[in-house]
Amino acid sequence: MGYKTDWFKGIFPALVTPFTPGGGVDELAYRELIRFVLPHVDGVVPCGTTGEFSYMSTKERMRAVEICLDEVAGQVPVLAGTGCTTTRETVALTAWAKDAGADGALVVAPYFLKPSFNEVYDHFRAVDEIGLPMVMYNIPQCAGTHFRWWTAEGGLLDFENAIGIKDSSGDLPFMEAMFEKVKGKVSIFVGHDEVVQPALGAGADGAILASANLIPDIWQKVYAATLEGDLTTAQDWQQKVQKLVRIVVRCGSNQACKEGLRMMGVDVGDSRHPIVPGGAFRREDREELRLQLEALDKIDKSPVTYDLGQKQVVTDLFATYQTPNTIADWTMKVGEGFAGPPFQELAHVDLLIGLADGPVGRAIERSIAEWGEERGLRVIAERPRTLVVPTVTIRTDKQRRLFEQAAEGVRLAIDLSIEDGFLPEPILDDVVLIMNVFVHPAASIARRVAFNNYKAARHAIRKAVEGRPTVEELIAEKAAARHPFRYAP
Amino acid sequence: MPIKVPWLKGVFPALVTPFERGSEAVDEEAYRRLIRHALPNVDGIVTSGTTGEFPYLTREEQRRLVEIGVEEAKGKPVVAGCGASSTQEAQALARDAKEAGASAALIVTPYFLHPSDKGVYQHFYDIATRVDLPVILYNIPQVMDRYLPRTVVEDLADLPNVIGLKDSSGNLTYTMEILEYAGDRIDVFVGHDEVVLPALAGGVSGMILASAQVYPEVWQEVIRLVKAGQVEQARAKQREVQKLSRIFCRHGGGVAVKAALKMMGLDMGPPRRPLKSVGGALMHETRAEIRLELEKVGRIPIKGTAFQYPDGALAARFGDLEIGADEIAAHDLRVGSGVAGQGVNKVQIDLIAGGKETPLGDAYALQVTYPFHRREALTAILEPALTVRPSTLLLPTLAQRNLRQANMIYGPAQSALGRAIVDALETEQIPRQSVDEDVMVALVTIHPRAMDRHALAQSVHAAASEAIEQAFTPRAEGEE
Repeated sequence: MGYKTDWFKGIFPALVTPFTPGGGVDELAYRELIRFVLPHVDGVVPCGTTGEFSYMSTKERMRAVEICLDEVAGQVPVLAGTGCTTTRETVALTAWAKDAGADGALVVAPYFLKPSFNEVYDHFRAVDEIGLPMVMYNIPQCAGTHFRWWTAEGGLLDFENAIGIKDSSGDLPFMEAMFEKVKGKVSIFVGHDEVVQPALGAGADGAILASANLIPDIWQKVYAATLEGDLTTAQDWQQKVQKLVRIVVRCGSNQACKEGLRMMGVDVGDSRHPIVPGGAFRREDREELRLQLEALDKIDKSPVTYDLGQKQVVTDLFATYQTPNTIADWTMKVGEGFAGPPFQELAHVDLLIGLADGPVGRAIERSIAEWGEERGLRVIAERPRTLVVPTVTIRTDKQRRLFEQAAEGVRLAIDLSIEDGFLPEPILDDVVLIMNVFVHPAASIARRVAFNNYKAARHAIRKAVEGRPTVEELIAEKAAARHPFRYAP
Repeated sequence: MPIKVPWLKGVFPALVTPFERGSEAVDEEAYRRLIRHALPNVDGIVTSGTTGEFPYLTREEQRRLVEIGVEEAKGKPVVAGCGASSTQEAQALARDAKEAGASAALIVTPYFLHPSDKGVYQHFYDIATRVDLPVILYNIPQVMDRYLPRTVVEDLADLPNVIGLKDSSGNLTYTMEILEYAGDRIDVFVGHDEVVLPALAGGVSGMILASAQVYPEVWQEVIRLVKAGQVEQARAKQREVQKLSRIFCRHGGGVAVKAALKMMGLDMGPPRRPLKSVGGALMHETRAEIRLELEKVGRIPIKGTAFQYPDGALAARFGDLEIGADEIAAHDLRVGSGVAGQGVNKVQIDLIAGGKETPLGDAYALQVTYPFHRREALTAILEPALTVRPSTLLLPTLAQRNLRQANMIYGPAQSALGRAIVDALETEQIPRQSVDEDVMVALVTIHPRAMDRHALAQSVHAAASEAIEQAFTPRAEGEE
């Protein structure tokens, strides 16, 4: 006996759902997103976890599936997320999806209250009776349930319409048990972006992924290489995207995908509350996601004018919707960067960029002359002239050694900012930098100190140049902002 | 009334083990000092418990600690920590403890490898039946990664030598379950400093605590009040030491206790490596917090500080920025002042705002390079990576003499100032054109003994809002 269907294989994005500011699904943006991914995918999943199904009304979920079916128009299968906490609602929504023309339903294990194994099994049995192909969906990190292999095996083999399982746990021993029990009879999909290649290599039939909103083409390469038995190529691609997908999976996947898409030019808005920008997907994650997308050629370069008054310089930047066309007023720009973990090795950089003959330039020269030595100030670069100021007074050799690591990180950030155009070559004699660099007195892990300071400094440079955070962001995030040191232990 | 032995009640400190600096050898003299310090207010002592870093001690060292304990305890019971991963070793430790004169052995759930419930039962059974010494079972899932199963405790309680259980989990559902199933046969002790009062109210017989070597008399008082039915007063007493207890339990354990003892004049040396005296599990910031709390509960004196809030003409308060009335007038700088809060929470903020191209721009850039030692300027932020605009520096007017004072600025004051600025942006009290054109410096004066972050943040927010309002209120015609 072979597979129950032939279409459930390959790469499926778990589509984000764009919402209009007033509420409801943003149809135009949703269609744009679908057109964006469609050339690279073997199927699509509306209203999955990444699609924020749990924040949508039943009506909205139906609308999203309808739009998706209409836009896809049969080019690839549509696997509609129809899971709810109760059996009654799940059965109703799945029955609706069948009538609407979905090819299958992705049904999450019933969540929040924690039904026992036999209750979960009977939930899926009830959905099976509708007659729509059904994918059982294991995502214990959200659902709080874990169907053990016996629940999955029982359902997948006993239920006529159970065509496969999506396992987002990232738990490879679980997946191996699935291969042992049901391989070749139903499709086994991996749903954890960090272990796609190992899962496919071990025998998974496909992947349903949040990051397939952003990089479906790359996942297609991993899938194709695996099918051809070219493990090396598949491994290389997984490693190239590992950091990007780690950010997506662990740092607020819905919002991460949405902000990533927006940086790539597909504006799908923000997640619904209580997900907020700068929340699980932190500010520093956004900077890093952007850098990863740049490294993978997913953000285009475009010309930006640096207006230094007496001098105009055009530089090609990885510009996003937040990059002004002209960057003026170079008297003094302020930027800030923050990067961790771990706590003791975190970096916090306060940056000033300004004209050499302005306040920043004058402050550098005066501070070096008057208290530079006593306070441990150091000029670490001449083009652009860069003064590093230790936030914490250096007292021990260990602190001195780690501060040197931090300075290395800052230097790398400057080099790469020159390379990527944010500090264009023609202005390097005109502007100067002050970097106030925090190294915790208890820091130990030298490599993290260097890397975190590289990140923080690079973020600070970009934020200073682009004028971020914007006033709109500040006002929007004011109420929920939480300074970690505002509270007692 | 205690069930199997008459002495198993009251307050027992889980003593730290003092080590010499460098050699990490046990410092016996310091240990004696510690016991003498604690003894008047305790009902017994516990050697080589978790707080005593037992996994880092040799068998000989543990035996020696018991010997010293017995010598110093003046007849009060000495409970010897005899925890080990293997049954054989735990049994050997218990034999040693018996020979050294201990009154009981405190034996932790076997750890690292994960024996089954049957294996755990056998572990305690072997020791309790082969060594003629009372045994106290010890549940501490935070470090052992598992609970001592209630069903195992229920059966072990039948053994004549099993006299008690110490529950350090802090999970009262577990404590209540043990009391329910074994409370008729063994004494239950609370081992989690944060829940002493609720555990006593729930029916435990006593406590073995890290903090019982720092403030045993507080716990004696809590016991007395509970017995007298004075719950309100008992609550107040527990609350006095709640934060310190939390720090001991969650933010450094024995290392934090050693830091507190050192501040009180009892130097117990460093922990054994890989633990660090500070900068590891016990962070510098937390250590500063311990000092603050010990001051608050009167364990160490508060040093007096003479200081004053800036006064005189507002325009004359910006001398640190090399800006006076002439510069303010010549460059159309805006100034404002605000005061808020009472007592140690009183905050004064003198704010100056103006164009980046004015002397204020120079002062701003200069302050980022730290001309004033211990008065380092901070950028106003809502939280890290959310820098407010117009760019604003917070410059403390008083030198920050220690991390405890710095902790009040970095975080509470910094974010409250940031929030006041963004509030003013939202209402357009601060005009949008200011965002790119201007910078601001806030001279912030905080009482050196401020210690309530929440109250302080509220004061800073109120004072900053007032200063901003003054600075940005459109000036009437002809007004200076």
